[in-house]
Amino acid sequence: MSMITDELYECFKTNLEAVGGSCVRSSKAELGKTVANLFKGIDIADACLVESPLFAEAGVKAAMEAAGIETHTDHIRLHGETDKGGISEAQYGIAELGTLVQVSDNIDARIAAIMPEYYIGVVKGSAIVPEYDEMFFKLAQLPEIPGFMGFITGPSRTADIECVSTIGVHGPLKLTAIVVDDE
Amino acid sequence: MAVLVDEKVREEQELQQKRSSELKQEIHDALDNTTLARTLGNFCKTYPGRRLKSYEGIDFEGNREKIKEVKSYAADHVDEMIEKFTTNCEKRGGHVFHAHSTEEGMEFIRQLVKEKGVKTIVKSKSMASEELKFNHVLGDDGVLVQETDLGEFIIALEGNTPVHMVMPALHLNKEQVADLFTEYTKVENKPIISEEVKTARKVMREKFITADMGVSGANVAVAETGTVFTMTNEGNGRMVGTLPKIHLYIFGIEKFVDKFEDARYIFKSLPRNGTCQRITSYISMYTGANEVVLDKETDEKGPKDFYCVILDDPGRRAILAEPEFRQMYECIRCGACLDVCPAFALVGGHVFGSNVYTGGIGTMLTHFLVSDERAEQIQNICLQCGRCKEVCAAGLQIPEMIMKLREKSAEEHPNNIKKFALDAVSDRKLFHSMLRIASVAQAPFTKGQPFIRHLPMFLSGLTEGRSFPNIAKVPFRDIFPTMIQKVPEVKGNIAMFGGCLLDFVYTDLAQDVILDLNSIGYKVDFPMDQACCGCPASNMGDVENARKEAEINIEAMHAEDYDYIVSACPSCTHQIRQYPTFFEEGTEMHKRAVTLAEKTFDFAKLFVMLGGLADEGDGKELKVTYHDSCHLKRSLGVFQEQRDLLSHTKGVEIVEMQDSDQCCGFGGSYSVLYPEISAPILANKIENIKETCADCVAVDCPGCMMQIRGGLDARDIPMEVKHTATIIAEKRGLR
Repeated sequence: MSMITDELYECFKTNLEAVGGSCVRSSKAELGKTVANLFKGIDIADACLVESPLFAEAGVKAAMEAAGIETHTDHIRLHGETDKGGISEAQYGIAELGTLVQVSDNIDARIAAIMPEYYIGVVKGSAIVPEYDEMFFKLAQLPEIPGFMGFITGPSRTADIECVSTIGVHGPLKLTAIVVDDE
Repeated sequence: MAVLVDEKVREEQELQQKRSSELKQEIHDALDNTTLARTLGNFCKTYPGRRLKSYEGIDFEGNREKIKEVKSYAADHVDEMIEKFTTNCEKRGGHVFHAHSTEEGMEFIRQLVKEKGVKTIVKSKSMASEELKFNHVLGDDGVLVQETDLGEFIIALEGNTPVHMVMPALHLNKEQVADLFTEYTKVENKPIISEEVKTARKVMREKFITADMGVSGANVAVAETGTVFTMTNEGNGRMVGTLPKIHLYIFGIEKFVDKFEDARYIFKSLPRNGTCQRITSYISMYTGANEVVLDKETDEKGPKDFYCVILDDPGRRAILAEPEFRQMYECIRCGACLDVCPAFALVGGHVFGSNVYTGGIGTMLTHFLVSDERAEQIQNICLQCGRCKEVCAAGLQIPEMIMKLREKSAEEHPNNIKKFALDAVSDRKLFHSMLRIASVAQAPFTKGQPFIRHLPMFLSGLTEGRSFPNIAKVPFRDIFPTMIQKVPEVKGNIAMFGGCLLDFVYTDLAQDVILDLNSIGYKVDFPMDQACCGCPASNMGDVENARKEAEINIEAMHAEDYDYIVSACPSCTHQIRQYPTFFEEGTEMHKRAVTLAEKTFDFAKLFVMLGGLADEGDGKELKVTYHDSCHLKRSLGVFQEQRDLLSHTKGVEIVEMQDSDQCCGFGGSYSVLYPEISAPILANKIENIKETCADCVAVDCPGCMMQIRGGLDARDIPMEVKHTATIIAEKRGLR
């Protein structure tokens, strides 16, 4: 595992922005604060958080609560119906597309990424691969394919009425990826 | 008995005529729909450029070879795919039902729904479920089935069927959508798209949360892992696969690939070809009974009830059993063949399609999976321009398959009127004498131009919105013997295949071809027994007459005696190149057909091949724009030679028009069958031509020449349309 290069990060960011998402970079130490600021920045008062070793280590939940965000880490299915924010860790990223890749059967992670209006996907810089093909090979080589895997590229969108591209349908209206520097 | 048979034939014909006039009405309705014209028109116009951009850095050709490879492997091992998928999905806790018919599949689902006490269903897009009449059957059972894809939701409210495979509600404008939403929600909806999307989110959210079952369609199913893939933008696919405790996948056997990494080729082309996106917002991959929240109050989690219904009906097996159509298995349902089709861009999928599948590939899918009768109607809408083949993600021979469908239906339900016309054409003497009579009987010149408004006999009905050329008073076959060919040093000899238009209409062009070839040292012969090339018969699926004409021309042209055969009509050249397929390999006729096919070239190609490219010309300024004929560019691959010839000609400046290789709408007999579609396609071409402000439109196909001249004449645009051979003859002073 090596740190993400500036070039690869810029590539990921550019491609995610091209599809209406946004992207920020953060150190592990700053992660909690970064998350809290993003949520507060658009007045999110409540959010679902799916715990992970990275989040625990960085103290994301505590930082969110300290910022006054009501943070739910259980009963996500229930809270997902009303919480405006959702945050979970994605296992990989694809730079050439700006894609977050979920490789986990954890249902809470799927709910947090699809139900709330604003989703933050956190991905370790070292887990971002340059290309789509490489990602597919990685997945194909897993000892066992998890019950669920998914690619998320930007917020949900449609062009079903008069071919006019419109952001935010059944999934998030807004999406931000936070790329965390590993070391 | 004879009376009975006649009665049956009559009934059949009446039915065919009724269907045909119904389709005509549908065409008029579609053309009158201004929303469809604007939205679909814009979409199709911008599609090629946006698509190309999405492919930047991607090897499209290489990827399509791969799609072909992995999908044809799955087709060749389909039973193994079903077995492997079933084993692997079940190993992971899923349930698989192998349905041998749509009825069997639907009955299984009905029982499942009943057994599980399912009251509400949320459904993301599944075309296979449309084949099962899923919504209708379960609706009758009292189950609420909610379409969640925005476009599908809108057309469900409208009570309509999809107008496009990827964008089902293109025919409605935001005002109409607002009305539908107002009626449904009982709250006033404003005709603002972003607001309408919000309404859809709100309405659907409630359904997602409470639904007992989610239903999905698969884009790909992987045999070795038991994984199903769904690609969406709106996130409804995700919701369907995330919230309900029961999840049902419905997909046909054509969705299989063997290995997990095989899927990547499909997801490389599907979004780019479908919506010009490099990737969609979501790709979801489910393997077996994945996790779900069983009780949101207690937060209890566990594996969901996961079902896959594999549709393996006789229609799908028939596709695999027919060598010519088997490639349909490789289709990834991206819809690109719709988006580049000039006829589809005008009428959309309600006309060019059935209630499930639309457009070029949709015609074949309709034939095998939905309704043979409907397919028989819509197969005639194809212009055979070949643009769909260029963009097809799996390189399917769509126009050829449509042609085969025409052949099938011509065999099964011969249409006597069409048949008479084609029989007449294949009887050289009869056809030629009809044309001679026509030249005498036709109306006098109009507006002092050599155009007639009405053509006689079976050609009548051609003229709406266009002017058509005069039949020559003296056919070329009578002029040829009077021509003196001055070739001091003969390098070789060539036979000219004239085709109907050169022989009977554009006799000057026929002379120009000869003068051009003489100028570079070749003598040209015109074998008198040649007849129609057979293209019209082939186009209408009449193989018998096409073969008969091939035989006549193989005899007449006697290719064995010449170095080359020249044709100045790419449709004739294309047809002659097809001759070997009409005869059994190893026969004398086949051998001779091959000889003829191999020696036959279109004018520009042959002229350049024989050293005709030269910096000659009178130097007088002539601004030329070039229109590519469908057959010449896409079937014969010739597009550079004629441009080289023109640009080397002193005085000629080429200005390219937009979409120079977009069909002009002539399509052989097409403009006879569907003048209402052909005319707007021509109008579009004329617009692009006008924009260049050229003095002259250069073409290499007399059919295009006739169509475009007619279009310009009808609009009083004083622009000339000339064959490349004519421009060469004039500029080099050969006349």
